[in-house]
Amino acid sequence: MDLAYTPEQQDFRAEVRAWMEANVPKEPLVTLEREHGYHQHVEWERRLASGNWGMVTWPEAYGGRGLDLIQWLIFEEEYYRTGAPLRVNQNGIFLLGPTVMEFGTDEQKARFLTPMAKGEVIWAQAWSEPNAGSDMAAITSKAIRDGDHYVISGQKTWSSRASFADWGFGLFRTDPDSKRHKGLSFILFDLNAPGVTRRPIRQLHGDPGFAELFFDEVRVPVENRIAGEGEGWNVAMATAGFERGLMLRSPARFQAAAARLVALFREHETKVAPAAREQVMQAWMDAQAYAYNTYAVASKIMAGGHIGAEASLNKIFWSELDRAAHRTAMQLLGASAELRHLDGGALNMWLEGYIFSLSGPIYAGSNEIQRNIIAERLLGLPR
Amino acid sequence: MDFIITEDQATLTTGVRDYLADVHTPELLRALDTSDSRRSADVWQGLVEMGLPGLLVPEEQGGLGLSLLDAVLIAAELGRAGVAEPIADTALVAAPLLAKADGQDALLTAIAAGEAKVALQHPANPWVADLDGASHLLSVNDGALLLADHSGTAKLLDSVDPLRRLYAPVAPSGTGVGPADALLDHAALIAAAQLVGLADAMLEQATDYAKNRSQFGQPIGSFQAVKHHLATAVVKIEFAKPVIQRAAVALAEGAASASVHVSHAKLAAADAAWAMGETAIQTHGAMGYTYEVDLHFWMKRAWALAGAWGDRAFHLGRIDAAVISGALPIGPGHSFA
Repeated sequence: MDLAYTPEQQDFRAEVRAWMEANVPKEPLVTLEREHGYHQHVEWERRLASGNWGMVTWPEAYGGRGLDLIQWLIFEEEYYRTGAPLRVNQNGIFLLGPTVMEFGTDEQKARFLTPMAKGEVIWAQAWSEPNAGSDMAAITSKAIRDGDHYVISGQKTWSSRASFADWGFGLFRTDPDSKRHKGLSFILFDLNAPGVTRRPIRQLHGDPGFAELFFDEVRVPVENRIAGEGEGWNVAMATAGFERGLMLRSPARFQAAAARLVALFREHETKVAPAAREQVMQAWMDAQAYAYNTYAVASKIMAGGHIGAEASLNKIFWSELDRAAHRTAMQLLGASAELRHLDGGALNMWLEGYIFSLSGPIYAGSNEIQRNIIAERLLGLPR
Repeated sequence: MDFIITEDQATLTTGVRDYLADVHTPELLRALDTSDSRRSADVWQGLVEMGLPGLLVPEEQGGLGLSLLDAVLIAAELGRAGVAEPIADTALVAAPLLAKADGQDALLTAIAAGEAKVALQHPANPWVADLDGASHLLSVNDGALLLADHSGTAKLLDSVDPLRRLYAPVAPSGTGVGPADALLDHAALIAAAQLVGLADAMLEQATDYAKNRSQFGQPIGSFQAVKHHLATAVVKIEFAKPVIQRAAVALAEGAASASVHVSHAKLAAADAAWAMGETAIQTHGAMGYTYEVDLHFWMKRAWALAGAWGDRAFHLGRIDAAVISGALPIGPGHSFA
C-alpha cells in the first residue's frame, strides 16, 4: 500500500484542474430535467469532448484517454472540486459505452461510440416496465423478427433522460414464447423513430426527469442488437454491474457535498439542534470512507481483481450516505428548507439534492434487492 | 497510489487466522472463563511460537519489523478469535512505540522472545488491562510517555467481559520514551482493528445460525427480514476496514492528520461492531440471550473496546476540532493529503 500520488498523477491533477477552472460554467446550469437545462448540459458535454475530457476512461481508439482508475478518481475529484455540471451523458459513458465495447461488433463500436464520446447522441436507458421493476426478468415488451428488422411493441417506464434524449437502449423479448431471463435481447433504438411515443413523467421536483415509452410496431434494424439474440439478460447484467459498481457515483461528489455541508453547519451553528453537529461529522466520515473504499476497489481491479457482489455494498453505502447528508442539510436550513430559492434568488441546491438523493436507494436495483444480493451471494444465505 | 493489501500481507493474515481458529476455539474461551487467572501460559506460548510478539519489533532485535498496516490486519485476527492474552497491547501497541524510542533494544528483544509483557495506561483509557502479570508499564504524565518496570499485584475490577482483566491505574512513573498522544493513537488504532475482527466473527456466527436454524419449515436465513439485518451489518463492517487501513498508513507516516484518521477508524469500527452485536443477538433469538451460545464473548469484548482508548465523545471531539473548525482541508482531492 502506498497512499501517495506519483509525480505523474500530480501533474495529471494539475492538468485537469487548469482545464476545469478555465472551462466550467461560472453560473450553475438549469437542471437537466428541463428542456432548456438539458440543452445546456448537452453543450457542456460537447465542451468536455472538445478538450477530450468526455470519456476519460475509454480507450483512445474510441475517443477516450485510456485513463486508469486512479487517474479517473483524480479526474473526478477535480471535476467536482470545481463544481462542474452533472453528466447528461451518464448512461452513455458508464452503461452503454462499456457494454458496446465488451459485446458490440466492430461496426457497432464505430457507429455508436464516437457520437457518444462527442456528445452528439445522448442516450436514455429503458429497463423497467410497469410490471417489471425490481423483477426485471418479468419484461413483456416484444421485438419480433421480421426479415432484417425487429418490430417492437410494448411499454417501458422510469426511462431516465428519455424526455429529451436521442436514442435508447433496453431489453426486449425476442422469443415471444420464452419465460423470465431467457429469450431477451439487448436492443438500441432511435427515440425519434416512427411508432415511439414518449410521455414525460413529472418527478418529485416537478420536472420531467424520466419518461414512459410506448412502442407501437417500431421497426428497428437487426444490426441494432448487441450480442446474440436471446443473450440480452447476460449483457444487461454486465451493464447493471457497471451501474452498481465502481463508476456510477464517484466519491468526489459526496466529498464535495460533505465539505459544503460543513460550511452550511458553520453558517447555522448558533441555532442548530444538538444532534446536527454529529450528523455533519458523520456525513464527512462516510464520504471519506467511501473514497478510501473506492481507491481500494480501484487498486484491486488494476491489480487484476474484479468486483462482483461487493458492488451491492457500494450502492447501499453511497445512496444512504447521500440521503443522510442532504437530510442533515434540510434540517440545518430549518424553515428555509422548503424554499425553492434561497436568499439572493439562488436555487436551493440542498432541496434539489435531497429530492435527488431519495432516488438513490431505489434506482439501479433497489437497496432491498442489493441486501438480498449481499445476503445470498456474499453470506451464502438460502434464497 | 496503491490502496491494496499485498499477497504477503494476505498470506500472513490467513496464517494467523488459521492458527487461531485451530487453537483459540470457543471451547478454550469457556475453559479460560472458569479458570482463576483467565490466562493460559500454553496459549501465550503458542502465540510466541507463531512469532506474534515480534511482528513489529525491528529485525535487529529479533523481530520481523512489520508495519502498522500489518499490525491492524493481525489485530483484526486477534479480535476474530476473541484472544484475551495481552498480545495486542504488547506486540502491536507497545512494540512500535518502543522501537521509535532510544535505548530500548533489550526490552524489544525480550518482547520478540515473548518474555516481556507491557501494560498500557493513559488518561483517555481509565482502566489498565492485564496490569497484573505485566513486566513493564507504559504510562503518561504531563504529556510524556513513561516506561517503567512492573511487578506486584493489584485488585482486579469486574468487567462484563469474562476474559478481560482490568485494574485501576497506578501513579505514572519511569523514563520518558516519547509523546503521550502516540500511545493513545496507536492503542485506539489497534482497538479499532480488533473491533472489526470481533464484528466479522459475530457476523459469521449469526450467518451460520441463520443457515441452520429452521422455523416455518425453512432456514430463518431465507427470510428477507433476517437477510436485510445481516446485509446492513456487513455494509458497516466492510466500510470500516479501509478507514482503519488509511489510519494505519497515516500513523506510520507520522502525518499531521493521523489523529483524525485514527478517531474516524475507532468510531467506524465501534459503530460497526456494536451494531453487529445487536444484529447477531437478534438473529440468534432467545438462544442469543444465553450464556451457552458463544456469541456473548465477542459481543462483550466489542462493548469493552468501543469504550476503551477514547470513547465516542472523545473521538468525535477530535473530528470536531479538525473538521468542523476548518483546520483540516476537506473535500475532493484531500483524501490522502
